Amino acid sequence: MPQLEATLELNYRSEAYRDAYSRINAIVIEGEQEATDNYIRLGEMLPEHQEELHRLSRMEARHKKGFMACGRNLEVSPDMDFAREYFAGLHGNFQKAAETGNVVACLLIQALIIEAFAIAAYNIYIPVADDFARKITEGVVKDEYSHLNFGEEWLKAHFEESKDALEAANRENLPLVWKMLNQVENDAAELGMEKEALVEDFMIQYGEALSNIGFNTREIMRMSAMGLAA
Amino acid sequence: MFGLIGHSPSLTQAHIAARELGFPEYADRDLEFWCSAPPQIADTVRLTSLTGETIEGRYIDSCFLPEMLMNNRGKTAVRKILNAMAHAQKYGIQTTALGGFSSIVFENFKLYQMRQVRNVQLEFERFTTGNTHTAYIICRQVELMAERLNLDLGRSTVAVVGATGDIGSAVCRWLSTKLDVQDLLLVARQQDRLEALAGELGRGKVLPMEEALPLADVIVWVASMPKGVEIDADGLKKPCLIVDGGYPKNLGTRIQHPEIHILSGGIVEHAIGIESKIMRIIGMAEPARQVFACFAESMLLEFEKWYTNFSWSRNQITVAKMEQIGQASVKHGFSPLLLEVAS
Repeated sequence: MPQLEATLELNYRSEAYRDAYSRINAIVIEGEQEATDNYIRLGEMLPEHQEELHRLSRMEARHKKGFMACGRNLEVSPDMDFAREYFAGLHGNFQKAAETGNVVACLLIQALIIEAFAIAAYNIYIPVADDFARKITEGVVKDEYSHLNFGEEWLKAHFEESKDALEAANRENLPLVWKMLNQVENDAAELGMEKEALVEDFMIQYGEALSNIGFNTREIMRMSAMGLAA
Repeated sequence: MFGLIGHSPSLTQAHIAARELGFPEYADRDLEFWCSAPPQIADTVRLTSLTGETIEGRYIDSCFLPEMLMNNRGKTAVRKILNAMAHAQKYGIQTTALGGFSSIVFENFKLYQMRQVRNVQLEFERFTTGNTHTAYIICRQVELMAERLNLDLGRSTVAVVGATGDIGSAVCRWLSTKLDVQDLLLVARQQDRLEALAGELGRGKVLPMEEALPLADVIVWVASMPKGVEIDADGLKKPCLIVDGGYPKNLGTRIQHPEIHILSGGIVEHAIGIESKIMRIIGMAEPARQVFACFAESMLLEFEKWYTNFSWSRNQITVAKMEQIGQASVKHGFSPLLLEVAS
């Protein structure tokens, strides 16, 4: 039996760590900003759920503030230009879907993909985070798990009529996620986060969401592996 | 509902399994892909006891592969097993058996220290290694095959390779108290554990493998390692019975001699039959009837409604517990796999 590989010694104050952190932290902040805006937009599209969606938006805005504090704690300036560019694909697809009133695609992008991506990243980050960031991130994850996922519930209630649109939106957007993960593989590794663990956690979160909505195992495996290692 | 956490014996087999189970997206993918793949509920398993009761379970493929250990990816292996356990628990399964390398990874990497998997606090009482039933079945295989081969165990030398492991130590306890074999040879890598075992048993000779094997009429192989070990068939006694209870079971393909009888250890046959797709895929020769004894343990716990981690932590298996699970095994229609011997 082999031994467990040694855990990477992290120096949170090193130049290399803080350089990588400037991009990862920016992505997290931008991700929470996207979520804040997207829930407001969804509230306009689903006025009967506006109150609930605005509450979610406020929660995401709080999370953003927490992560900004994590960056300040390490005296890192988040590279927001990089982060906006990083999210441009998903951002564009969300806007396009919103303009055409495609609620299903909007929910898939925000409530399934961005949420699963965020939770996966936070789960993998927590064990390797500095003490300050660990506490903040644990609080965020607790928040995320404690609220019923609005998108999952809505899509579950509208499963039959949304199924084709969900599959189409999945086909269009999931390959972007793999591209995004590849793009930050080295920076994430610098923070002690392994890409294979991130991918696995994302597939678990995303698969659970698809399962809750009503997809079966075969459909989940097909959808969640879409575009991975293509 | 019972659960079985298993995995493919190799990457090549994983590709075949993915195709056969209808998951083509997972076929032909490299090891990297499998390292990132999440656990899946891959099959439903059904069986009916001799008592008439029918139960149903789920087979969870952890997407672990032995190649991960061979390539020193211990962290990946750990993640696979923990994620599969969390998956089983979230699915609401009462008792899940850890098959193949799952329980070995669990023990070796001390996963009992890692109870929190994301938002799931693992409830260990929902899991069993299945080792008590495996050890019982291996002992019965020794006993019943000795009869078939006209081997008097009271005058035989039995070598247990992997004697200090959970299954190995249980087998030694049974052999020394229930079967009264003439000589018991204890083989394992860690000398201090061997000495402790011999002390506990009050008997048994500690010998290196190359000295023990040529002396043995019966070899119980319960060492598990990701890569096989070469055994020199010329140096073995003739006749010799080898019960291959390790994982993977590959001694049979390495040694071929008419007087060396090699039996796959820790496998049971069911009197009525087992409905599943997975048993063939994980290598059962008679998939409609055969199953690993460790998997069968979770079925027995479900039949008996013993919702507890019947087999847990290392070296806790007593002869009394082996007898208890053994009685349930017989009651519900399981019997040890045996070899036909030409008369």
